[in-house]
Order: sequence, then structure tokens, then C-alpha cells
Amino acid sequence: MPTVVLMDSSLSMTRPVSVEGSEEIQRKNLAVHGLTMLFEHMATNYRLEFTSLVTFSSLWELMVPFTRDYNTLQEALNNLEDYDKTCLEAALQGVSNIVQQEWGTSCPCQVVLVTDGALGIGRGSLRHSLQTVKQRVEDKKFPLPFPFPSKLYVMCIANAEELQATDSMDNCVGSKLIDQAYSPFHAVMRCGNLTSDVQVFPRPEPVTIDEEVDPMPRTVQTDLEIVGFIEIGDISSPPVLSRHLVLPIAVNKEGDEIGTGATDDTEEETPTNQMAGKSPNFCVLLHGSLKVEGMVALVQLGPDWFGMLYSQADSKKKSNLMMSLFEPGSEPLPWLGRISQLGPASDAAENPYGEDDSKSPFPIQPKNKRSYAQNVTVWIKASGLQTDVQKILRNARKLPEKTQTFYKELNRLRKAALAFGFWELLKSVAELLERECTLLPDSAHPDAAFQLSHAAQQLKLASSGDSKYAAYEHNITPMLTDFSGGGGADRI
Amino acid sequence: MRMFSVSHKTALVVDHCPYMAESSRQLIECDMLTKSRSQGVIPLAPVSKSLWTCAIECSMEYCRIVYDVYPTNKLVKLNEWFLMTALAAVGPPNPRQDPECCSVLHGLVAAVESLCKSTEYQHESRTTLMDTAERVANRGRIICLTNAKSDTHVRMLEDCVLETIQEQNKRAAGSDRLMPIQQCELVLVHIYPQGEETLVSDRQKKELSSVLSSEVHSVRAGRYLACKLNVLVQPHFDLASTTITNIPMKEEQHANTSANYDVELLHHRDAHMEFIKSGDLHMAGSTSRDSGLKETVTLKWCTPRTNSVELHYCTGAYRISPVDVNSRPSSCLTNFLLNGRSVLLEQPRKSGSKVISHMLSSHGGEIFLHVLNSTRSTLEDPPSISEGCGGRVTDYRITDFGEFMRENRLTPFPESMVDAACRTPVERAKSQLERHTRYWPMIISQTTIFNMQAVVPLANLIVKDTLTDEDVLTCQKTVYNLVDMERKSDPLPISTVGSRGKGPKRDEQYRIMWNELETLVKAHVGTSERHQRVLDCISTCRSKPPEEEERKKRGRKREDKEDKTEKNGKDREEKGWTADSERLKGVMEREKDEQSECEIIKDSPDSPEPLNKKPRLATEEQQPPEKSKGPVSLLTLWTNRITQANSRKHQEFAGRLSSVNNKAELYQHLKEENGMDVHENGKATR
Repeated sequence: MPTVVLMDSSLSMTRPVSVEGSEEIQRKNLAVHGLTMLFEHMATNYRLEFTSLVTFSSLWELMVPFTRDYNTLQEALNNLEDYDKTCLEAALQGVSNIVQQEWGTSCPCQVVLVTDGALGIGRGSLRHSLQTVKQRVEDKKFPLPFPFPSKLYVMCIANAEELQATDSMDNCVGSKLIDQAYSPFHAVMRCGNLTSDVQVFPRPEPVTIDEEVDPMPRTVQTDLEIVGFIEIGDISSPPVLSRHLVLPIAVNKEGDEIGTGATDDTEEETPTNQMAGKSPNFCVLLHGSLKVEGMVALVQLGPDWFGMLYSQADSKKKSNLMMSLFEPGSEPLPWLGRISQLGPASDAAENPYGEDDSKSPFPIQPKNKRSYAQNVTVWIKASGLQTDVQKILRNARKLPEKTQTFYKELNRLRKAALAFGFWELLKSVAELLERECTLLPDSAHPDAAFQLSHAAQQLKLASSGDSKYAAYEHNITPMLTDFSGGGGADRI
Repeated sequence: MRMFSVSHKTALVVDHCPYMAESSRQLIECDMLTKSRSQGVIPLAPVSKSLWTCAIECSMEYCRIVYDVYPTNKLVKLNEWFLMTALAAVGPPNPRQDPECCSVLHGLVAAVESLCKSTEYQHESRTTLMDTAERVANRGRIICLTNAKSDTHVRMLEDCVLETIQEQNKRAAGSDRLMPIQQCELVLVHIYPQGEETLVSDRQKKELSSVLSSEVHSVRAGRYLACKLNVLVQPHFDLASTTITNIPMKEEQHANTSANYDVELLHHRDAHMEFIKSGDLHMAGSTSRDSGLKETVTLKWCTPRTNSVELHYCTGAYRISPVDVNSRPSSCLTNFLLNGRSVLLEQPRKSGSKVISHMLSSHGGEIFLHVLNSTRSTLEDPPSISEGCGGRVTDYRITDFGEFMRENRLTPFPESMVDAACRTPVERAKSQLERHTRYWPMIISQTTIFNMQAVVPLANLIVKDTLTDEDVLTCQKTVYNLVDMERKSDPLPISTVGSRGKGPKRDEQYRIMWNELETLVKAHVGTSERHQRVLDCISTCRSKPPEEEERKKRGRKREDKEDKTEKNGKDREEKGWTADSERLKGVMEREKDEQSECEIIKDSPDSPEPLNKKPRLATEEQQPPEKSKGPVSLLTLWTNRITQANSRKHQEFAGRLSSVNNKAELYQHLKEENGMDVHENGKATR
């Protein structure tokens, strides 16, 4: 979850903080100090986070584009200049643009706004923005809420009285922010008795399902239990809420984290890291086998909530263990069915994968076929109707060889015409068949004439609406003639 | 989409009044004469659909789309009869019938009544929630296709619906099976024949009361009506349209040429979320088609295609329904997908860069539009797993774990199948994983038994929940087989990683192997009595004489030796041999070894000649473990081994080759020269 630090560089930030003591401290200094703490924390514990630094006054400027290089961020922070007044709306708009350009609209972002709580004055001040918020045209809306999922933290460098006077937004202390947003998510991944301590990056966010009844935010539990394995082809690019790296971590006996080995700088290997690298870890084993076999592991994230673990290869030679979260619920993927109904293949009476791995129990076939998977009749466009009539005529000209197909198409048309109350069509097709009968060449099989006039007569009867002949379930059957010897069975 | 929204229930009411039998006056030529046969034949008059036929056709189409996209939880009721069978029984309206007795009013009343009935899903939610049951909402929509006389007539219909709702809600308040309607949308579609002027004016959605809102559409019959309903179904069910362009298709006439076609699909609008949010909707090739009422996003068919074993980062998957289901391009595309292939779709961008944003793929006969992530990933350039914990270890049992994963693949079970302990299949899967991992070393150098083909039958069986007698027998056979291997002193695949030299000795290897096997079986011994029997079998087969056990307790250091002697222990027991101290025993043993060695050597001349004439050491011949009748000391074994190894490194002395009992006669040629024909060396004479 990338972070944008939005730093107020208006002149009001240079106001001194009233502290007993000799040295004058500006609000700006406090802010820089707080952010330094944040950057230091992230550099050690949340290293994979992309962070960018934006400063604003009446204008805004992207000081550091999204990076994992915290030295650059720190350097930029130390060289801030002071500008004019606070103009929050434009700055938020700027953040919105920057994030969308880099990450699109589906990637959740965190925005840390550092300001002194001054709302600004005149045009572009927050007060002005909020007053006019209702009278905006479509493309000049107030930038909040952002079009991407986001969390906005406001670090307000002000004392309590000032906050009350301006009735400002939340006040968030730096360390609290670190706890909330940037503490690593530690979990235990287990597969039966095989376990590994892992860090899940980025932190999985609580998810609220858009249900009308009792929407409750769901959080990923710290016990990630593998329930079984599925082939990649069977799980088949499922939709996921988010993706996370699963990094094995070494935990020493006191329960303190030694380090992930990976997130720490790899160049300076500490002895503990080397130790951690050399002792076998289940994550590495799992990753290797998932990669080789082309499979994913189904993992339980909470009650009725599942995800999958798989090997994700970078464009280079690097690859990694990843976890994707499915939509919470008992049936996140229609083609897998209810997850609770998935059991070990060895319990099945017959191996569902076949003895030579040639079969698969997935995907689950839905009870009903969709319209495009069955032969539906749609005559909304004239061409649909014409095609169906042509099919009958084509087969009519090849009687008696095509007797079966002829009657199949004829009955399909008859059924649809009856359902749509389109009796006129039945009459018309009957006439067409009668004419075909007169046009038969001398060489034609004598059975053809019999079948054509029989079919025409049946259609005419149906078009009368007489319940005896117009029953939907009724089918026109081939006429039994001396030539057909039992309904077109003697195909030449 | 939120459950229990207005779209949860839709009632379609099609007017069956005599006027609907009127022709739509849209003519369809169904007599398409082919050129060769057209001479002298007068084409038949074109047919035209009645208003009723048009209305039914379009209602069916509306339902088709909804069922395609929402197979569950979206209920559409068509006049109380939604099956084609029933429709056929109703037939077209009779123009001579009394208009009063089949007024659309009856249909509307029936529609309201059906909205009041709680659906299965609502009922389920209500019963599961109990005390908060009132939170299950009851909303619905009535779409009425009719031919109204005037705006006043329309108002009359609206009033009728409103009154019925109020009445029904009163009734529903006192019923368990009925639910009062909280919100109802009435969509009145007035249909009139082509070429006529409409008598009813269009009207935007208007709140008639807190419960009922109504809108009026006035449409000409035929394709205009079809188009109208296609437009209506989209907001009703949160749908959006995507047109796939540039689909390469073989021409029907000329099979070797191909042309590009477009196919329009409907699906949940969330598939366009990225475009909507970023305001790219118009830029992303959105165009208006057919009478300017529709909006569609254009995505380009993209080659190369993707394969099924690739796992795409997909943020959503939505069912689709083709707008023109039977057209050749549509059916070509859907058949292509139903055959199991996937197509990547490219988003046309003004910058000209290629961005793949969607994928079409079918799963179990249903086609889904997958939304692919097309923006920069926040997880780019992650540290490789080999850089992290356990990353430096190189001998993971990757293949074995792969095998383990295959054995623990999941498969769907029918709802009814519950095992004796009432566990769901997924719980059974978890417990199987637990059983299978009770003893599972992660690296090759940590295990012996899992590197041995001979152990496989037992290892596969012992993890099972229940064993048959036959299974136990197989396990026992495995154990006997191992005993046999040990007797033959077959080499074991013991890892030498980490230990200097050649690793542990053969007997130590077997000890390690037996211990490991015991650990594996002990982990499962609690599962059943038959599992216990397998353990018993192992304990028996590897059992040692009581004094051996005693000694073992005294000093582990001597174990190597003891294990060795143990094999030949019976011999010793017979002699009633007892040892006062370890040292004494050691000495005696060595003596005995020497003794037995001598015996064997004495036997040697009588033993049959080796088949191959390859130089062999006498000691080697004497040493096959099966043959050795007495105990062999460790030292002897070691020495033999070393000599054996050394002997391969140099050419054997000619003297030793022709020696008897390691004694070679020197200066034989002298004897020959002297004419003496006495040879002690048998070999030389042969």
C-alpha cells in the first residue's frame, strides 16, 4: 500500500512552538522530526513500502516520486523551503493525480497529511472549499474521497487549544501512526504440523462485504492454515481482493524477531541472518514445490474466508511466495463450488484426477447452461428468423437423407413460434414447404414429397391454435411411408 | 450488488388484451430465394409479428440476459408464467375477445402479490437472523409491457398498482410467508405499431409515494422495443456493455480469408470500474451504437493468447451475456471460449501504448470477463525467496513435497456427504494434512527412510486414517524386506553432508534408519490398533538379545560394535559366553574373530573357485556376511575394507595372485629348471 506524505510548507509552519526553554522550535522542525521517525521506522520494518513526498502551499510540488529509497526521502525532507499560504484542495487534487498516474484506481493508498491545522484563507482555503462543495460541476469536484481506496492520516502539529478553535480533523501522533499503519503483519503459516513464521506484506486490510444484513469488517487471522492444494489450471486466474508477499522470518526463543533476512539489507549479512538462511524453512520448501508442480495452496484466512498461496516469478530470475485473498464468503469462486465442500481427493471412491492425472474434478458445472451454451431461439433480428427458416429449407432439399435434422429444426421453430404466439410464421413456413414440394425435381426420392406435405400440414394445424395440435410439448414426427421403412431409418 | 435491492425481484407483466394481437407492422422477409431457384417463383409475402409476439420475445431476451449474468438470487417472474411451455399454452391474444375480461390490471395485481411473497433467499436470511429479521428488505420492480390508450390510462394503471401495494402490505403484516413491499419501481412500456403516432408520452422516473416510483416509456414495436429493453436491463441490473473488436474470423464463403468482427457483451458494470473511476470511460473507446442510446466500452482482441497454466493477477470476474447471442460472430466467440481457450483484451489508449486490461475465459460452461490489473504493482522487485530465511538450504525435498501436494489435492464433495464424525470435507482435508505431516523432514540430509524406495509402501500406508489387515500385511512385508536388506548389508542412502569422511558405518546407518522408521510409525500409533501392530512388528524385527539391551544402556559408544556382533550373536549365545567387563569382552571378541578368520582360511582351498578370474583378495572371498559363521570384529572389517579399497588402486603382485593361503613360493623357475615337478601351488599347475 503506497504512501504519500503530504507536507505543509506554508509560512504558518514556521511559527514557533511555545515550549518553556530557550531555543525556538518551529512547527516545521517538529514535523520534520516526526517524519524522520516515520521514515526510519519504515526503512527498518516496512522496507518494501513505496513512499513519495509532496509539499504544498498555494501550489503543490512532487518532491520525491514513489521510492523505497528512504535516504532520498530524508534528504528532501531536510531541504524543505517555506512558501506562502495553505491551499489544501489543490494539494489533495495533486495527490489524487499522482497516485492514479502511478498505481491506477484500484490500488489502496495511504496519505499522511502533515499540517499545522491552519485552514488557509480566501480562495483555495479549506473553508472556501467546503462552502462551495455542493455547487461544483462534474469535473471540478472536491478531491475527497479519492477515487482509489485510501486512508488519510492527518498529523496535526498544533496544541489542543488551537485544535478546538479551528475545529480541525483528527490529531494523530507519529508513533501511533506507525503502530496503526506501518507495523509489520506477522503470522504463522501452517500445513498440518509443518509451520513457518512469516511476515505478510503489505498488511492485509480488514474487508467489509457489501451485504445488507450485518456488514462486519473481517480481518485476516494470524494463523494461516493450508487446507489443501489445487492445480493452477483448475483455480484458473481467480479474482482476488489483494496480493501479498509472504516472507519467512526467523523468530528467536524469546519471541523477538531477528529479521526477515530479506527485508533487511542483504549486503551486510549479520551472523543471525546467515544462520536463518541456512536453517530449513517450510516457506522455501512450499514455494519450491508449488513452482515445480504448477499448483496453488488453498489457505484459510478466517471463518469462511480463504486465499491462495503460489509462486510468483518476477521478470528476472527471482521468485517469491505470494498470497492472494479471495472475497470473503463460503463460495468465492463459482468454479470451485463451496470451499467447505472441498475434501481430500483420496477420500473419493474413484480418483477424481484419474490414475494418470488426465482428469480434473474442476471446474464445477453449473446446474443450468447459459444461453450461449445452448441452442436458444432468438428472432429479435430478422436475420435470426431467416437463418432458422433457411436451415429447414436446406434440409428439406436433402430429404430423405436429412429427415432427422429436418424434423429437429422444424420442431425447434414450431416450439418457438408457439411460445411467442407467432402463428403467422407457422402458416408461412407451411406454405414454403408446400412450394418446395412442387419444385422437387423428377429425380427426387418419392419419400421427400410425402415428408414435405406431411410437415406442412402439421404446421398448419399448429397455427390454428387448436390445443390438439398446438401443444408445446408435441413434436412433429416423420411420416411413416412405404419408402422410408420406419421413419427415415434407411439413409443412403 | 447489494442483496435485496430492487433487482432482487422483477415481475414482468405482458398485456394479453385483444389489442396486443395487432400487427407490429414490421415486415420480415422469410422467403429468401437462392439465385439458382428464383426463376418463375413468386416469393411469399413477408410475415409480421404481433405486438404480443414482440413483447414476449423481448421479455424473454430480458430474462435471458439476467439469467446469464445472475444465475442465482435475481428472480424474474414473467406474468406468473415464465416458462416457454406455459407461454405457448396462453397463445396470442384473441382479437375478438372482450377487452374487459383480460385487462392488464389483473396481471399487475398478480405481480404485486408475487412481490409480497418472500423468496427462498429472503426466507433463509430471515430465519437465520431471527431477531433482526426485519432487516431483510423486500423490494422489487414491475415491468409492464402494454398498449395504453392515453396518459390518463397510464395514470389509472399506476393508481391500481399503488392501491394494490397498500392492500397487500396490510395483508402481509399479519403473515409469515408474505412480506410488505418497502420499495417498488414500476416501469410501464407502452408499445405501439410502427408507422403510428404514440398516444402516450414518455416520462422520467417519478415518486408516486414513499413506496412506489414509476416511469413511462413509449416505444414502437419490433427492434425498437428490443433495443429499449436492452437499454433498460442495464441500469436495472447494474450492467455495462463491452464490445470486443478485431475478432479474427474465417469467412464463411472463403475459408482461407479472415475478417475482423465485433461482438457486444453485457456484464456487471464493476468490470469497468477502473475506467469509470479514472474518467477514462469515454477515452477508452466508448462509443454509442444503435440509435445512440447505448454506451459500450471497446476492447481489442489480443494475440498472442494466454495459456491456462498462467496465473494472472485478476481483480474481478464477471459473467457475460452476448447481446446478439445467435449471430455468427457471437457464437464463434462463445464457442471458442467454451472450448477452454482464453482471450486477452487490450485497451485502446490514445498514447498508443498497449495495455491489457481484461481477459475472457470460461469456467464450467460459463464465460467470465476477468479484470486484469494493468497498473504498476506495489510488489515489484521483491526480494527473492532464496535471499530470505532458509534460502541458503539447497537440499529441500521439493519433489517429495510435490508428491505430497498431489496426494493432498482437493476435490468437491456433494453437500450430503458427511463422514461419521460429522466433519465437513474441508475439515477432513485439514486433518489429513495433519496426519501426513506428523513426521515430515524438510531436507534430504535429514532423512534416510524417505530416500529409500523400500520404505515407500509403509510410508504411504501408515499416514492413513484407517488400515485394513491387508495394509498391515504390506507394512510388515516392508519391514521384513528391510530386515533382509540389513542382513545382506545393502548400502543405505544416508546423507554424508556435514560429516567428515565417508559418514557413518553400515550398521550405524541401519540403526539410524530403524530409529527413524520407528519415529514415523510412533507418530501414528495412536490412530488405530492396526497402526500399533505395525510398530510392534518393527520393534520385534529389530529386537536385540537382552544382554545387548543391557549393554546398550551402559555405553552408547560401543553401540557400533555391538550392533555388528548382534547380528552374529546367536553363535555366541550358544557358547554361553558371558563377559565380566567390556574390555574383556572386546579382547575375547577379537580373539574369536581371528579364530574364525583362520577357520575360514582353512576352508578356502575346498571352496569352489570364483567364476571370474579377476584378481581377488583371499580375505574378500572369506568375508561375505552371509557366510561368516562367527562374529567379525570391527577392526577386521575395517582392515578388510581398507585393503580391498587399496587393492583396486594398484596392480596385484604376481606372487600374491598365485599364492596359496597367502603364501607364494619363490623362485619357482629354479625348480622347473631342476626338473622338479612338485608344486605346492595348485593354481600354477592348472
